[in-house]
Amino acid sequence: MRLSQKARLLSAVLVPMVALVACSGGSGGSGGGKAAGSGGGDEQVKLTVWSWDGTVEKAVPGFQAANPNIKVEVVNGGSSQDEYKALDNAIQAGSGVPDLVMFEYFAVPYFAIPGKLADLGEFGVEKFKNDYVPAAWADVTVNGKVYALPSDYGPSAMFYNSATLKKAGIDKAPATWDEYYEAAKKIRALGGDHYIAQDTGDIFFLLSLIWQAGGRPFTVNGNKVHIDFTDEGTTRAVAFWQKMLDEGLINTKITGWSDDWNRTLNDGSLATQTMGGWLTSTLPERAPKAAGDFRVALMPQWKQGDKVGAENGGSSFGIPAAAGHKDAAFKFLEYFAHGGGLSTRVDAGAFVPNTSVLESEAFQGKANKYFGDQKVGAVLAEASETVGSGWQYPPFFEWARSIYGDIASPFYTTGKVKLAEILEQWKQRCIQYGNEQGFQVD
Amino acid sequence: MDLARRFDVTPSAMASPDEERHPAPAGRRRRSQIGLAFIAPFGALFALVFIVPILYAAYLSLFQERLIGGTTFVGFANYGKLFQDPQFWDGVGRVIRFTLVQVPIMLLFSMALALALDSMRVHGTKFMRATIFLPYAVPAIVSTLMWGFLLGVKYGLFGSLNDALGTDIDPFAPGTTLISIGLMVTWAFTGFNMLIFYAALKAVPRELYEAAAIDGANEFQVVRAIKLPALRGSLVVTIIFSIIGTFQMFNEPQILPTMVANSGVTTFYTPNLYAYNLAFTGSQQGYAAALALVMAAITIAVAYAVQIRGLRNASDQ
Repeated sequence: MRLSQKARLLSAVLVPMVALVACSGGSGGSGGGKAAGSGGGDEQVKLTVWSWDGTVEKAVPGFQAANPNIKVEVVNGGSSQDEYKALDNAIQAGSGVPDLVMFEYFAVPYFAIPGKLADLGEFGVEKFKNDYVPAAWADVTVNGKVYALPSDYGPSAMFYNSATLKKAGIDKAPATWDEYYEAAKKIRALGGDHYIAQDTGDIFFLLSLIWQAGGRPFTVNGNKVHIDFTDEGTTRAVAFWQKMLDEGLINTKITGWSDDWNRTLNDGSLATQTMGGWLTSTLPERAPKAAGDFRVALMPQWKQGDKVGAENGGSSFGIPAAAGHKDAAFKFLEYFAHGGGLSTRVDAGAFVPNTSVLESEAFQGKANKYFGDQKVGAVLAEASETVGSGWQYPPFFEWARSIYGDIASPFYTTGKVKLAEILEQWKQRCIQYGNEQGFQVD
Repeated sequence: MDLARRFDVTPSAMASPDEERHPAPAGRRRRSQIGLAFIAPFGALFALVFIVPILYAAYLSLFQERLIGGTTFVGFANYGKLFQDPQFWDGVGRVIRFTLVQVPIMLLFSMALALALDSMRVHGTKFMRATIFLPYAVPAIVSTLMWGFLLGVKYGLFGSLNDALGTDIDPFAPGTTLISIGLMVTWAFTGFNMLIFYAALKAVPRELYEAAAIDGANEFQVVRAIKLPALRGSLVVTIIFSIIGTFQMFNEPQILPTMVANSGVTTFYTPNLYAYNLAFTGSQQGYAAALALVMAAITIAVAYAVQIRGLRNASDQ
């Protein structure tokens, strides 16, 4: 009795450790490097692709028909974070490394800098450059080398509920942030839970605001990272959003992607969402009751008449340095991200940063029923092509964004948000972590 | 052991040196080897799934992983850093506070329910027993989602309650989130503990009750003099299980932030959550392994302290 009790006690204590160890990579294994496999020969090649983008799968039949000796298996490894962990583990273990992997743009440097990604320059990737909007191309370029091909894009745009705006006496979408501020007051005057937007510490939104205002808080040069939240653009964006929060014009109770959020989108009490263009694909599912009410516009501008945008999300595909079939992998990558498979994916709902698609009549002229027959594509194409250039993410951004909430949350809950102070504390944590990780961060 | 052998009066100990050469001791040796064979399957599995991973974790904890520069041996530096890490101690303090409040409340509930079921004055005992136990079978992820909806102030049941009573209580504000988690955990584990208590009560010989009845003891005296003492042993077990459970809290704080904004749950809310985030978003497996080992040591120490104290008290009586 006592023994079994002890054993049980021990087992209960140790389970998390076992889990931890199991996940942190096991023994050597056979190694994923059977040298770069052929793609053009007669030999059968089986490609493993890790992707959470469902449209990639749609391109597989067409590719296999054209390349009968290549079999493509697309695996959805869950959320992006889960996938990065799995990839890190596979690389560490030296076995089970996939041939092609999906990355959010900010994750590319994380894998590229320690040499975990193949330099696509050896496949002559440069010749595709003109098919991508400049900001997307910059996203996959690290220290002058291209490590991935952009596959979907998130130009920031403003989605607004025209019915709510009309109710508040606003007959056209705010074109500048000053107009946005005035509109926010009118919407708030409707009372109840009416707000122009929500924010519970969304770092991606704040960064897109900074990005658009011309702030470039991260400068990455090789292993050197400089962080500065006091440049002119950052200061302007932060001061503006601080004012919105201070005056109670923003709902700080509802978090994005929650059930509450869905409901407020449905009942129209949240008037706008400034988010990535990909919201077009999920909004109809989340807010079916608001069908016909939503419209899309460019982000409000800092200066009347300007046309500057920013990014909020987007992803790409790269080939791990330890992949077994690099040539075949690149062949498939080119097919679905640039070549014949692109149109299949666009038809399936992918929003891609390829200029050949964005500028096409088919894309720009299509009326979207959910958005009241607005030609959504034309707006988003313009948003894509006006994204401000020169933005960089630090290589440890994945970690940095995960702890942002730890710092921001206490401020948001007390109702006294001090954005500048949050960013300063965030910067200090980034500096500490970055230097521990072997970068030179200041 | 030595003492026992010195005063050993079994025939073999008293046997003459001549008889030592007889097969009896060899037989005993064979018997012990058979014993080894019996525990070998367990031993091998135990080594594989417990000992080896611990050793590997201990090994990992001596290294530091860096994005630039790879993995380097750092000796006990991870442990040194851990003991000075305010985030780690914040999490440890939180689970200890949680344990001190939640465990006694839950066990009191469990005990009361077990006594009620055992009193034979409740109808539908079997149905009740199964129903109370049922939450234990609900995965923590599902129950967290469910409670998240129930306690939501905007559209949840709690919101309606606030409206009806004119109050403004948010169960997922930083000050109240831990209480809400306590509620979820209590809901989930009361039935489990009740079952342990109930089993202990069922093991009480009926003669004791008959004797008590003959002595004219009323129901409360029976509870005080017979039932509660009978529960002492299982109380120690349930306390230990509960301590281990709460020290490992993970699912609830992991899921809550996706449901409610600014509930005060940080990436280091509990030690386990912190270890997970260190290993998987911070790529600091070595540091996370050190944390897991230290946490295991703390848990074992606390659980054993309870067990030793509990057993001593039990034998004092």
